[in-house]
Amino acid sequence: MLYRQRTLDLPHGDVETPILLPVRNVGKRSSDNTPEYVGTIPDLPTAMINARSIYQRAPMWERLQEGVTLREEMEVPEDTIVFADSGGLDFDPTGPDITPAEMLSIQRHLDADIYGTIDIPLSRENWVEENHRRVRQNIEYAIQTSEKHREDDASLLFASVHGYDPETVRNNIQHLEQRGDFDGYALGSLSLIRTDYKKTTRLILAARRATDKHLHVYGLGGITYLPLLLYLGVDSFDSSAFIRNAGNRNYLLPGFGGKELHNIDHLDYLPCPCPVCGTRTLDEIRVDRNLLVRHNLWSMVTELRRFRYIAASDKDVEAYLDLRFQDNEVTQRAYRAAKQQVRRLV
Amino acid sequence: MTQHGFTISDQKRDYSRFGLEENPFPYSPVPDDEPDIYCGQEHVTEAVSDTVSTVLSTGKSKHLVVTGKYGNGKSHTLKYTRSLLRDREDVVVGYVAQPGTGFLDIYHEFMADLGFDYVQQVAYELLADVARNETEYNPIGSAAIKSLIDEGEILLSELVPPAIKRLSETAKFADFARAVVHLVYEDTNLYAWQWLTAEGIRYEQRKELEIHSALDDDTMAVRAFTSMKNLLIELGYDAVFVFIDEFESIARLSTKDEQTTLNSLRHLMDQNNSGLCLLFGCAPEVWQDVMSEYHAFSERIGREVALQPLTAEQVYELVEQYLNPVRNSGKQGIAPFTKETLEFVLQQSQGNIRQVLAICSRILDAALRQEQKTIGVAVAEDVIESV
Ligand SMILES: [Zn+2]
Repeated sequence: MLYRQRTLDLPHGDVETPILLPVRNVGKRSSDNTPEYVGTIPDLPTAMINARSIYQRAPMWERLQEGVTLREEMEVPEDTIVFADSGGLDFDPTGPDITPAEMLSIQRHLDADIYGTIDIPLSRENWVEENHRRVRQNIEYAIQTSEKHREDDASLLFASVHGYDPETVRNNIQHLEQRGDFDGYALGSLSLIRTDYKKTTRLILAARRATDKHLHVYGLGGITYLPLLLYLGVDSFDSSAFIRNAGNRNYLLPGFGGKELHNIDHLDYLPCPCPVCGTRTLDEIRVDRNLLVRHNLWSMVTELRRFRYIAASDKDVEAYLDLRFQDNEVTQRAYRAAKQQVRRLV
Repeated sequence: MTQHGFTISDQKRDYSRFGLEENPFPYSPVPDDEPDIYCGQEHVTEAVSDTVSTVLSTGKSKHLVVTGKYGNGKSHTLKYTRSLLRDREDVVVGYVAQPGTGFLDIYHEFMADLGFDYVQQVAYELLADVARNETEYNPIGSAAIKSLIDEGEILLSELVPPAIKRLSETAKFADFARAVVHLVYEDTNLYAWQWLTAEGIRYEQRKELEIHSALDDDTMAVRAFTSMKNLLIELGYDAVFVFIDEFESIARLSTKDEQTTLNSLRHLMDQNNSGLCLLFGCAPEVWQDVMSEYHAFSERIGREVALQPLTAEQVYELVEQYLNPVRNSGKQGIAPFTKETLEFVLQQSQGNIRQVLAICSRILDAALRQEQKTIGVAVAEDVIESV
């Protein structure tokens, strides 16, 4: 098993990994904003934010320029741990509208604890020309960022790495190890191939083998992937699955994935003892999206806690995961494949 | 252990009474894959050497047919020549045991004989070549480029697009280029190899490799072969040799298939007027028919050389060549055989090399059982009569 626990020493405090970073929609003008969770869920003093979208939202950016802190803007305590990624998914694929130096100064201004380098995600097509160009471009951005990342800056710098095959992922990380100075690596472009569990697993393992440094996985922290990521030795991951699922009225439950609420007739008591569900009825949750989002987040935290418990109590993690994946044929196959690959490594 | 008349024993037979460590003659008539004995017929070795040397020295293509009746040593000649060429680093040799049902099969056998590891190594050599042009590094060979990639010195993404572009230009076959480059990716190299060997892959797999065409007929196989040859030549190999054995089996094809196969081979020769050497092994009667019926094909073959039945002198020489490596006494020549015995063998085998070897093998064992010291005609007669 590649699961590991470490401590990250960050400007706003220490964090025990592996850790989930919920995606905060701060800066995005949208109705599906993230409800308050920092403080109410004790093991989530963390947030993933999109640096570019904050920068692009003029009123907020002005307030930040005038001295309001990001954490005030987010209405979270000042010791909240923030990972600011570059917002690569929103870039025009032909190229970002921001230079690595500008991005770094925005991330610094946001007082983020972790910076992710500018990246352009890969497309599923265009294997030969376009994706190789993007891979090279992302490497170049990462190296440029590393050169600008001052030594007196205590925030960590993670290089964003993209590739659709293990060789490219490994090769990119080795290359960046040689040419730059990074505190960790963040693997991207996986959400487009998320249904291909086997491939996704192989890419994560390739990254995990290529470096002993911190490994973050972008945008893959759904409730099904979560235990798999922990098993593969991923140190952190971000997720907006709890929001997206709530948008679809999906009630997340560890081991069961999501269940659409309109498919459930009536329940006197919900199957979850979290602070949201413990005292409420199904109908109350059904009508309040915010409650559903918060419950979904609790579900993910519960899954994370259980895994930590299994590992801490010397129980057989693989037996636990066998059980965890037994109801879903697809994820079961994915887990079996991952198990074989991991055993070959250990 | 004796049971129902069978005597099965793993006790090593003792040939020391003949001054031999073992019976050196093959029991089965299948030629060795790596023969180290060649009792050549001088005109054949000359013709083969001449063809091979011309290709190597001029770079121009040249082809040869070796004819001979069954058992006269065609396969042995081809395999022996192959083993000589395989030691050279500047050429590529593929052996095709028989032509199958068309050129697609020949191509498949050729690639399979080169093998996955070898062709993957060629793919890395291509990347090395690109790296020498595109980067400050100067990797020579597949191991060097592999370690540069593994260590992250060179970005794979810097090499792959220009490698595909260059190979597409050389090969004039973009799909082939993509398949070759995919051999370096562990997720896709099996599909790529299946496509390259014309084993066929599913549409979704082809899509993943961004390969548009199916390699499933003679025309595509000729294209792919030519691409492979051009790639190898561009990487600095002097020539590609294809040994096609049992060519006479094309006579078993339908007239249409036979014609298609010969046409494909003709196209192959026409499209590769440099760096290619085809060496056929064929029964003389089938070659006669090809000569008279398919001029367009046969006139492109530079030369035909015929293996003849062995003469007495050649039988002596052959037997001696087999005996010498296993001798543990100072004896020389054909002993423990006598000239008379071998003349009898020659007469019985009609100079067919395969039969000569088979009979000698049996005679040696019979003489051992009869506790003879030298092998006289009487033993040989016993053996022949018992068959
Ligand atoms: Zn709940």
